[in-house]
Amino acid sequence: MQIRLFISGRNYNLAEGVPDRLTLPDGATLDDALEALADVLPEGTRLPASCLVAVSGRHCGTVGSHEAERLRDGDDLVVLAPVAGG
Amino acid sequence: MNVMGEQNQERGSSGMGGPPLTDEERTRYQRQLGPGVLTEEGQARLKRSTVFISRVGGMGGPAALALAMAGVGRIIFAHGGRLELADLNRQVLGSEQGLGKPRAAEFAACLRQKNRLVTVEAIDREPDDAEAVALAGRADLVISAAPTFAERLRLNRAAVACGVPLIDAAQWGMTGTLIAVKPRVTACLRCVYPQDPPFEEMFPVIGAISGAVGSLAALEAIKILSGVGQSTFGSLLLIDGYRGHESRMQLQRNPTCPCCSSLQRFSPMSREASRD
Repeated sequence: MQIRLFISGRNYNLAEGVPDRLTLPDGATLDDALEALADVLPEGTRLPASCLVAVSGRHCGTVGSHEAERLRDGDDLVVLAPVAGG
Repeated sequence: MNVMGEQNQERGSSGMGGPPLTDEERTRYQRQLGPGVLTEEGQARLKRSTVFISRVGGMGGPAALALAMAGVGRIIFAHGGRLELADLNRQVLGSEQGLGKPRAAEFAACLRQKNRLVTVEAIDREPDDAEAVALAGRADLVISAAPTFAERLRLNRAAVACGVPLIDAAQWGMTGTLIAVKPRVTACLRCVYPQDPPFEEMFPVIGAISGAVGSLAALEAIKILSGVGQSTFGSLLLIDGYRGHESRMQLQRNPTCPCCSSLQRFSPMSREASRD
């Protein structure tokens, strides 16, 4: 299955070049997707634990602490590094 | 619990009662009175409302400006320091003539020039825990537009403690986020950010995105205070201007949140407060 991927927030520029879709085995979970995402990030970068994660508009927690979530084909995965600029 | 899209209701001191609009106010606000915008009672509620904003730079400034022009009765803001040249790419309340001068006085003067019917109180420092609670307690709504998570979380605690809605507006580069919190009903900032995100003093910012997010924060405030329209409590709006993408996520409360869960009773000296 495929999911759409969108990375944004702080240091969004570091995610340039990351594919906007991930191909995952059927029945994959949010953890599987985050592992697959880690593999396609530019060398030397990683997702901070404080990044928010949402699946198809539903907030699931953070990269470091989130609910177990089974993904479906066509889901949207948003990963948002928190921003605090005023 | 997600209550995004709920119809706004009257609340707090901005509810019924108080003086009606004057003829001058009806004329001044005529373009925002009518179908799809504000009712006369909604406008009168704005007039009776107090908003506390910390800070009024890139986002809080446009928010304060929009609220002053819309006729919110009292704006209390906190912003310390002196105006610097590098502020002027985004801080719309500042001007070249104000460079080197205290921001609080400059920004207050700008707001008063926009609308003499609005009372403006300026505080020239970052409020500590106790002051944040005192200020939130005087307000019908709090806008968090601070440059650090420590201050945002402090304002969040104060708003939750006082039962006052909080709007958190934040940005980085060409992106921005907006969260509206209905205390103990929708997720608070601590529910959303259980770990303290990293601090970054010199974040990049394009004034166009901070202005956009600040204006949207003001719009949410106007809807909540006037009782008109549908609020977006319980959701996070992401605007990624770099790639032209917007999305919204429905936020979840943390049942064990150290700030807003039913087990917590706020104290400015609590462990949660001291952690920041």
